Amino acid sequence: MQDINTQLPSILDQVIQSIPFFKAELALIFAFLGSIIATLFLDKLWKQSSFIITLIGIVSSFVLATQQFGQPQSGFFGMLIIDNFSVYSRGIILAALLICVVFIQQHFQYKTFGKNLGDVYSILLAAGLGINLLTSTTNWLLAFIAIETVSISSYILVGYFSENKRQTEASMKYVLFGSVSAAVMLYGLSLLYGFTGNLDFTSFEHIQGLIEAPKILLSVALLFMFTGLGFKLSFVPFHVWSPDVYEGAPTPVTAFLSTVPKIGAIILLARLFEEWTSSSFYFSELVLILISVASITTMLIGNLVALRQSNIKRMMAYSSIGHTGFLLMALVGNLASEPQVLLFYIAVYTIMNLAVFGLIDVMEQKIGSVQLENYQGLGKQFPITFSIFTLLGISLIGLPPTAGFIGKLFVFTSIFDLFQFNNNRYYLILLVVGALTSVISLFYYFKIPLYAFLRKGDEVKILPTKSTQIVYIISIILGITTLLLGIFPNLLLTLFK
Amino acid sequence: MGLLSLLIFLPLIATALILLLPASMRQSYKYISLGFTVVQFALSGYLYTQFDNTVIGINQASGFQFVEQLAWIRLDLGSLGQLEIDYFLGVDGVSLPLLVLSAFVMLMAIGASWNITKSTKGYFALLMLLNMAVMGIFCALDFFLFYIFYEVMLLPLYFLIGIWGGANREYAAIKFFIYTLFGSVFMLLIIVGLYFSVINPETDAHTFNMLHMMNPNNYVDGSFFAYMNNYYEVLGIPARMLGFIVLFFAFAIKVPIVPLHTWLPDAHVEAPTPVSIILAGILLKIGGYGIIRVCYSIFPDAAADANWWLGLIGVISILYGALNALAQKDLKRLIAYSSVSHMGFVLLGVASLTAEGISGALFQMLSHGFLSAALFFLVGVIYDRVHDRYIYNFRGLASHMPTYTGFVAVAFFASLGLPGFSAFIGEAFVIIGTFNAESVGTGIPRWMAIAGSVGILLSAAYLLWTLQRMFFGQTRFKGGEEWASALTDVNIRERIILFPTLALALLLGIMPSLVFDKMNATVLNLVSLVSQYL
Repeated sequence: MQDINTQLPSILDQVIQSIPFFKAELALIFAFLGSIIATLFLDKLWKQSSFIITLIGIVSSFVLATQQFGQPQSGFFGMLIIDNFSVYSRGIILAALLICVVFIQQHFQYKTFGKNLGDVYSILLAAGLGINLLTSTTNWLLAFIAIETVSISSYILVGYFSENKRQTEASMKYVLFGSVSAAVMLYGLSLLYGFTGNLDFTSFEHIQGLIEAPKILLSVALLFMFTGLGFKLSFVPFHVWSPDVYEGAPTPVTAFLSTVPKIGAIILLARLFEEWTSSSFYFSELVLILISVASITTMLIGNLVALRQSNIKRMMAYSSIGHTGFLLMALVGNLASEPQVLLFYIAVYTIMNLAVFGLIDVMEQKIGSVQLENYQGLGKQFPITFSIFTLLGISLIGLPPTAGFIGKLFVFTSIFDLFQFNNNRYYLILLVVGALTSVISLFYYFKIPLYAFLRKGDEVKILPTKSTQIVYIISIILGITTLLLGIFPNLLLTLFK
Repeated sequence: MGLLSLLIFLPLIATALILLLPASMRQSYKYISLGFTVVQFALSGYLYTQFDNTVIGINQASGFQFVEQLAWIRLDLGSLGQLEIDYFLGVDGVSLPLLVLSAFVMLMAIGASWNITKSTKGYFALLMLLNMAVMGIFCALDFFLFYIFYEVMLLPLYFLIGIWGGANREYAAIKFFIYTLFGSVFMLLIIVGLYFSVINPETDAHTFNMLHMMNPNNYVDGSFFAYMNNYYEVLGIPARMLGFIVLFFAFAIKVPIVPLHTWLPDAHVEAPTPVSIILAGILLKIGGYGIIRVCYSIFPDAAADANWWLGLIGVISILYGALNALAQKDLKRLIAYSSVSHMGFVLLGVASLTAEGISGALFQMLSHGFLSAALFFLVGVIYDRVHDRYIYNFRGLASHMPTYTGFVAVAFFASLGLPGFSAFIGEAFVIIGTFNAESVGTGIPRWMAIAGSVGILLSAAYLLWTLQRMFFGQTRFKGGEEWASALTDVNIRERIILFPTLALALLLGIMPSLVFDKMNATVLNLVSLVSQYL
């Protein structure tokens, strides 16, 4: 007791000193509280108040995060790491979150579904907080809390809107899978803590402990830990929840789920991976093999299963599984290069995915369907929409002259560098599978122009909607951005320097 | 802005113009396309007259003409080194004739699309986009730029076949796309490998510049594709050989070689006439061009080792294509297979590694370019009238459509290698080169030359037999009177397109020096580049 009494002031001092490092997240927290209050009291007077508060919160968090640029620091006893990597990734996350909020607001603007939209904003902000924390920590405890914050918010997002049995089923699956994998991860973390006595995975004690730990038990612990992260990233074999959830959730929520949480998890994994594979001990070899194998199988399974989908949201779910595999490959490549390659791919992936889901949403509102066959012959009726759709498909495949191509090229480049350096056959397999799956992905991404342009269909009656304009414009702008970044990648790459 | 940039981006302006004009002015689209392509053709003609025959091209930056070089992407990728991508254009004796050919074939294709009525806006916009990509491929000297044009070319073609094609068009379009993409994604990996292996001596940055990749001194010692100290192997194949093989297959799919040719008959049969013309006239040449510009020039050592196999593949393509053509009942399919056979000569000629053989191969590409375009156009003439091209459904066309038969006869004789026409020169030089190869010691045996000659014989067989089946004898059509009245003789527009094409075949057959002079220095340089590794 005495001990704590003497330590307490210095602990408090440290906490108070650390608060400025936390200001971007504080903005989100205040916006979170503000939007709850606004939902309760102000929305009756002015319907958009919680929406506006959310927007202000995200924008100010973005501004505050960018101010932290170029001044690496750590706070809260080393739990919070603020470096440029974290600033960039939070910038991408917050920008994506902003777009998702607008998508959701537009999607539900004229719908009456008996629930309060304001709650959704506060949940999104909470999720944003969790994802932000994921990018700026190397401490297992904080990482776990952040993952849980994101997970719980995501469960609510999926379940909140469920209108029919299928959607309820999706959210139920999500919760069950999610909680089990979280529990498994926590168990794995407890084993790691037992081996090392330190929760910071970059610390010397942690690495030392891992080197000395018994191999079999360590393998089990690592597998458990990767189960939790794998669930968040939905890489194979922890992907089974995502197609159902993506299909069942409202389109803008799917847009959010398929992009933003992944960024946070990938950044955390990148930090972990970089720290752990730099030594030549048993576990670093194991981690490299685990990630490479996960990447290879995820790319293959995601892309192969996507071939057989007829629902575009489900197809995009598998496509995003495939892209997760590619993100893992980018993460491996991150060993060889500056983080800008990984960041560029993440940014481009976010832009492409948000734009595609935006367009899916627009078409869903216009024709009331997300089945590919209902796009039959629509290219004539909506030439711009489907041209951009095709362009985004090209970018997702990774064909020039789009940003997706540049991203893929850089990832291949960094993996090749590693291969040339130590001739490890895993790198070669990664390269070959990465190339092969882009050929496979051509088949299903080109189903969109196939139905829209190549097949003839009857003129479709457009449902009367008022709320697609803004989503449409945002998606078109994002689509054109992929083309622009494909021809002038410098615009974005110099930013990430 | 240089002449080559103008040549490449003129069609892009046309695309933008076509897209911006309202649908009420849809009649003007074809005139816009025609106008821009005529300017392009004139420009390429100007380049032809201004071209200096003595410069050697291939691996010397000073050997290229009309060079434009701008820094495009410069990046410091940290440990991945400096990234250097240039907007780098230039032509030499290999690419100049193909540029002129492309502009010419594009003109033919636009002439052949005069009667297209289905969404003309999209059609002509895509056609012009394709035009841009093709010109870019032949001018690009930076591998990155080359790759971008190479891939951009696929998209308009997919839509042109897929939207304006025949009954089975979806299948043909995606098959074509997949085949080419399959080759090119692996090409991308090799490009990445080359990027790491090559250093620009002036800036010490890694570069995509193809000319730097052709100089052994620019390779980093011990890098993946290095000449010196290279111990890399994949599946037991040395790295440089692997690079050559992958690049070769990427382009060989386009040529196409047997057994990777199966996309070609499908694509041709389903594609509308103008697209068939472009496919046969230009796109197959991109394969041959790529093999010369990329495979042989960047991996001359591997090429020297592999040329026996290349020759063999060439011979197989010649014979297999010809035998298949004999068995076809669809006229368009027959001509598609004859393309496979004739492009086999290109491969055989390149593999012979003699000046005659390579000149012959290049000449054969040109000659096949406009002759196959003419043949497909001729098929289009009867297909437009009766929507049928089954050989046995026609008989005695000669008395019914005499002028048409005249054109067909000239085109057939020209392509089967009758002396006096361009195909004779091309094939004869390839055969001569292959015969000489054994005495020069490039590893191509004489029997390959003999097998190639058998191919010429077979092409005479299938073309003359077709002539006999369709055009001679008693006039009899499957569609009876209805067809007889629909099958009118060639009209003015068709004559305007056909006459210059066949005249060109005759002109080049009599005066091959018009082309040989332009390419001679370049070809000799290529031969000396590769033969030092023999």
